[in-house]
Parts: sequence; C-alpha cells; structure tokens
Amino acid sequence: MPTELPYAADAEVSLSYDELDVLRLQHEKELAQAHVTIQTKFNYAWGLVKSPMREHQVEGVRLLQEIYRAEPTRRRECLYYLALGHYKMGNFEEAKRFNALLLEKEPTNLQAQSLGQLIDKGVAREGYIGMALVGGAAALGTILLATLVRRARR
Amino acid sequence: MAPTSHTKPASTALINCKLLLIGNSSVGKSSLLLRFSDEQWLPEDESSATIGVDFRVHKMEVKGKKVKLSIWDTAGQERFRTITSSYYRGAQGIILVYDVSNRESFDALPRWYSELETYVSNSVVKILVGNKVDKEFSRQVSTAEGEAFAKRMSSLFIEASAKTAIGVNEAFQEVVEKILDTPELWEGVKGTRGGQNTGNGRGGVPGGVQVVGLSDQQGQAQEGSCAC
Ligand SMILES: Nc1nc2c(ncn2[C@@H]2O[C@H](COP(=O)(O)OP(=O)(O)OP(=O)(O)O)[C@@H](O)[C@H]2O)c(=O)[nH]1
Ligand SMILES: [Mg+2]
Repeated sequence: MPTELPYAADAEVSLSYDELDVLRLQHEKELAQAHVTIQTKFNYAWGLVKSPMREHQVEGVRLLQEIYRAEPTRRRECLYYLALGHYKMGNFEEAKRFNALLLEKEPTNLQAQSLGQLIDKGVAREGYIGMALVGGAAALGTILLATLVRRARR
Repeated sequence: MAPTSHTKPASTALINCKLLLIGNSSVGKSSLLLRFSDEQWLPEDESSATIGVDFRVHKMEVKGKKVKLSIWDTAGQERFRTITSSYYRGAQGIILVYDVSNRESFDALPRWYSELETYVSNSVVKILVGNKVDKEFSRQVSTAEGEAFAKRMSSLFIEASAKTAIGVNEAFQEVVEKILDTPELWEGVKGTRGGQNTGNGRGGVPGGVQVVGLSDQQGQAQEGSCAC
C-alpha cells in the first residue's frame, strides 16, 4: 500500500517551548563567547523553522541562509530547510526555488520530491482561495444588483 | 502531524502505533522503509541520505487488528543527532539497523542503545535488524554474533535485505505484534484522541525536554565536518 504523500514531517511538528529554549540558550552562549559553531547554529535554525511562529521562521531562514553561504558541506540540508521554512511562511515561489536547487543535485531525493508536491498543493490552495474571493465578489455583486433592481421597481 | 484521530466505530477502529528507525548512516533504514511501505527499491546510486527525518504512514493488519503505523525514519549522519533525538518521544517500537557487511555499523550499536536509554521507556519494543544480507560475500558480522547481541539487549532479531525484500515485512510484523502484546505501551493511551501518535511532539510523555547532551554532540560535530 503506498504511503500518504506528500508529507514533510518537519512542516507540521514543532518543538516544545523547552526544547527550543535549549537550542536557543546554546546559541546565545556561543554568541556571547564570540564563536558560534555551525552545528549549534544549524540546530537552532532548524528549531526556529519548525516553530509555528512567523518571527521564529523568519529568523530560522536567516540563519540557514548564513550557514548555506558559510558551509558548503551543509548545503543540502540548508536547501531543504530553507524550502520548508519558506513553504511554512507561504512564500511558495522562494520555497520552490530552494527545493529546485536541491532536486537539481539530487533528482531522486524522495524528501525533496515530497516537499515539492506539498509546495505545489500550497500554490493550488492559494489559487482556489483567490478564485473563491473573485467568485464571492461576483456573487455579492449579483445580490446587490438584484436588491437595487427590486428597489427601483418599488 | 499526519491525521491520526479516528472517530470510527470500535469494530473498525485503527490502532495507532509509532515506530522509529535508527542506526548509522547508510545502513539502509530508508531503503527498508521504502521496501516495506511502497514495495520499492531505488538503485544504489539514486538513494539520498536522509535529511533530519522522514516520515511515512502505513496501514497493516496484525492478528486481525487494523494498525496504523507512523514510521519515523531518522537520519543516521552525526550532524543530525540532536535533531533526531526530538523524535524518540512516544515511540512504541524501535527498529535498530546495522549493515551486516559493515563492521563499524555493528560496533556503533551500543551508542544507539544508550541513546534509547536516554529517550524512551524500558517497555518499548526493540528489534535489531541486520540489513544487506544480499551482500553475503562481503559479510563482516555473522548471524550468530548479531543474534547474541540482540539477546543481550533484550531485542528481537532478524536479518534482512531491502534490496531483495528478504525479512523486511517480517521485521515490521514482529515489532508490531510484540507491541500489541505489551500492555504497558498502551497505558494512558486509551481515550487520548489520536492515540499514541506524538502529534505536536508534546505527547505527554515524562521528561519534556528531549534535546539534551548538546556538549557531547558538539565534539562529534567537529568530527563530522572535517576539513576535507
Ligand atoms: N546491497 C544492498 N544495498 C542496500 C540495502 N539497503 C540499502 N542499501 C544501499 O545502501 C545505501 C544507503 O541506504 P539508505 O537507505 O539511504 O541508508 P540510511 O540508513 O537511510 O542512511 P541515512 O539516511 O544517512 O541514515 C544506498 O545506496 C542503498 O541503495 C540492501 O539491503 N542491500
Ligand atoms: Mg535514510
């Protein structure tokens, strides 16, 4: 039986407050010592991107971008989590761009394929909402018109 | 989280079950999962090391009961160790994998077991899987040795090959059977909506903070990101 795809575990599961705090404190400690290891930074960025709070996601993405630039050996996971972070923020174009970069290097990466489908779904959903709004406005227009016509007749 | 709540009548009720795959990188965890859930096999050069964690849902029938498995496939690479530790919570079954043609992956097992001590309860069902038995010609760990070690660690044991599918279904089947037979794993689960699934990661399991041992991990991280 095939799995229910698409799915990205990290898109929906967030850390507890305490867990994120452990990662944040480690990061702060190293910042204070003026040397943040890539590992600490990455762990914290990952925790931030998983958070449901937008300001966390923004900060997470910022850190990931720095790691991407500084550490070529960590590019694949940075691309993945950058795509994920942007997806969560609803920046589907950015999300697509980062995920495409990963897929370019690893065309058969199942995680990236799955995330790609998720992003496409997000785009489609946004499209539906857009159409629903336009449709709703049209419907509203009709009602208004009908009321006016009725009034005019009276 | 994946949809896990079920408001179906008891007769067809799904039992939720959380499994975790752990073990060194490249031992074939993702390949075992792909074989099990999708009956697929990717050519050796087409598979990618897992990033952080992957997740799959799979429904199966065990002893006449419908079981919905949520399977967390963790990344074995050192640099994901802190990240992956956050997924242990609430697991009822652990599948520890090594590669029978790679001694190092077998020798690393004590470390994986000590990780389990930190993060999961004793009653959790464990199975040790010696993968890649299709590579018989380059075997580095004998069946007897694997079996003896598993026994010592009170784990079930099986040898398998994600490539040929040998032992793969059996491995999952055995863990789930044993989980269903372990009442401790179901205490406190009844009545909670969505069952055992960890959902938002706050599954109410003791020891809220799962991300520990940072300093320990730092040292290893250096090792991982060697100046190649
Ligand atoms: N011959 C053989 N090769 C296998 C088998 N299972 C996996 N492999 C190969 O071993 C390599 C690693 O497999 P993965 O499934 O990605 O390993 P993993 O344990 O998920 O690795 P991480 O995600 O990094 O933790 C791939 O090239 C697979 O094709 C097997 O049963 N037999
Ligand atoms: Mg993997």
